Amino acid sequence: MAVPPVIAIVDDDAEMRAALCDLLLVEALSCRAFESAETFLAAHAPGVFASVITDVRMPGMTGLELLVRIKRCEPDLPVIVVTSAVDTQTRQKAMDGGARAFLVKPIRDADLLDHLAAFRG
Amino acid sequence: MNDLSSHRLVAGSEAGEHRFRILIHHTPTPLWYVDARGVGEIFERLRAEGLTDVAAYLDAHPELVEAAKDIVVVTEINRAAVALFRAEDASELIRPVRYLFAATPDMAKRVMTAHFEGRRNYVEQAKMATFDGEVRDVIFSVTYPTPPEELDTTFITIEDITERLQTEAQLRRLQADFAHAARVSTLGELAASIAHEVKQPLAAIVTNADTSLRWLSREEPNLAKVGELTTRIAASAQRASDIILRVQSMMAKQEPQRRPLNLVEVIDEAFHFVRHDLDAQGIALLRADAGRAPVMVVGDRVQLQQVVVNLLVNSIQAIANAGAADRRIELRIDVEAAEVTLSVRDTGPGIAEGNLRQVFDGFFTTKDTGMGIGLAICQSIVAEHGGRIVAANHPAGGALFQVVLPVSTLPLDG
Repeated sequence: MAVPPVIAIVDDDAEMRAALCDLLLVEALSCRAFESAETFLAAHAPGVFASVITDVRMPGMTGLELLVRIKRCEPDLPVIVVTSAVDTQTRQKAMDGGARAFLVKPIRDADLLDHLAAFRG
Repeated sequence: MNDLSSHRLVAGSEAGEHRFRILIHHTPTPLWYVDARGVGEIFERLRAEGLTDVAAYLDAHPELVEAAKDIVVVTEINRAAVALFRAEDASELIRPVRYLFAATPDMAKRVMTAHFEGRRNYVEQAKMATFDGEVRDVIFSVTYPTPPEELDTTFITIEDITERLQTEAQLRRLQADFAHAARVSTLGELAASIAHEVKQPLAAIVTNADTSLRWLSREEPNLAKVGELTTRIAASAQRASDIILRVQSMMAKQEPQRRPLNLVEVIDEAFHFVRHDLDAQGIALLRADAGRAPVMVVGDRVQLQQVVVNLLVNSIQAIANAGAADRRIELRIDVEAAEVTLSVRDTGPGIAEGNLRQVFDGFFTTKDTGMGIGLAICQSIVAEHGGRIVAANHPAGGALFQVVLPVSTLPLDG
C-alpha cells in the first residue's frame, strides 16, 4: 500500500504552523495545517494523512484528546506530540496514548525530520 | 432715654469687639489683619483710567506686584500665626506682607486680581516659607473688605495642610505598594502561562532559523524563501518582546498614572496574561466587547489591567476547582450615560450567599492558595478610579463581578 504523502500539522499558533510547514517544504514534504483538533478531524479519514504533528494546549479539544480520537479510528497513523509544556505527566499521557514521539518546543529540526523519515521507513 | 440706650449699645459693642479680639487671638487658625488701602488707591486710579483686565495689566507690570508686597502691611496677627511662621515674637510678623509670598511669589498677582475685581474671597493652595527656612503646604484664604466695613482690614487665614497632604500621599503610596505586591503575586500564579506564551514565538523563531539554514545550505540557496523566513523571525521576536514588555510593566513599581485609556484595549492586554490558563483549563472566553468602539476611562493602565486579570483568574479558578462541565467566562462592557460597566460572569459554582458581603475584605479567601488580597486590591483600585465593584450570583448560575467606572470625556492622548 502506498504511503499517503500529506503530513497534518495541528497547532493553534499561526506562526508555529507556518514555521513547521516551511520546514517540511524545504525537505520536499507536503503538509496541511489545521488551527484546531476539530478542523483536523473534519478533514480526517483513514488513509488521508501520512502522519500528524499536533500541539497539546489548544482552545477546544487538546492534542492529547485528539490523540485518543485518532488512535480509535486509525491506530496506525503516526502522531508526534509537540508541546511547550515540560511536565512529565503530559509526556506520559502522550506516550501511553500511543504517540510515536514527544517533542518539546523549541524543537530541533533534525529530531522532527528523523522521526518523519522513520515513519516512511 | 434715647441717649442712654444708644450709649449702652456702643458700650456693648466695644465689649463685644474686645471679646471677639481675644477669641481671634486664641483661635487655632493663623490669622492676619492686613491694610491694603494703599493698593486699593492705586486700583481706583487705574479703574478711573479705564483698566478692566487687571490680570493682564499685572502681568505687564510685575513691578507693581512687587511694590504692593511692600505697600500692603500686616497690622495685627494672632498667636497661631506666630507659631506657624516659627517667629520669636509677634513683631516679626507685623510688617509688609512680602514674607507671606516668599515661597509662592506669583500668588500675590492672583490675590491682587481678586481684590481689583471686587471679589469677597480668594482661596489658593500654596506654599509658605517659615522664618526658620522650612516650606509648608497651606491653604491661603483672603477675605476683602467691602463698604461700609472698615476698609483698612483685609483678613487672611493660612491653614497648614502639610501633614494632611503627607498622610494622603502616604496612603496613596501604600495603596500603590499593595497593588504592586498583589500584581507580583498574580504574576507568580501566572508564571507557567506566561512562559508558555513566550515560548510560542521562540519556538517559531528556532524552526524558521533552522529552515533558513537548510535553504542556505542548498547548492542553489533559495534566497527569496530565506528572506521571507527572516521577516517572520523578526515578527516573532517582536511578539516575544511585547509579551515580556507586558510582564515588565506589570512587575514595575511606579507611581499610578492618570491618563485617558481605551478600556477595550486594557481588556485585550489583560487577556494575554490568562490565555494559556484558559486553554489549559478548556475554558472558553466569550467577549461581547470584541471589536467595539473605544470606551475611554481615565486611570492607570497597569492597575486597571490588574483588575481585569484578577477577575479572569478568579473565574478560571472557580470553574477549574468546581470541575464544572460547562466552562465559560463571559465578558462584556456596557456604556450607559456617563458610566461603563465591565461584567465578568463565569460558569463556576458562584459565591456562597453568606460570603457575598466579605469577598472584597482583605485576607478573605475560600481557596487553598493565595492570600485573598486580590479582590480587596481590585476594590481599592476601582475606588481610586472613582468607580465601584460589586459581586453577585448570576440568576442562571455562576459568579458575576461588575466594575463600574466613570467614562472619560477627555481626548485620547498620543
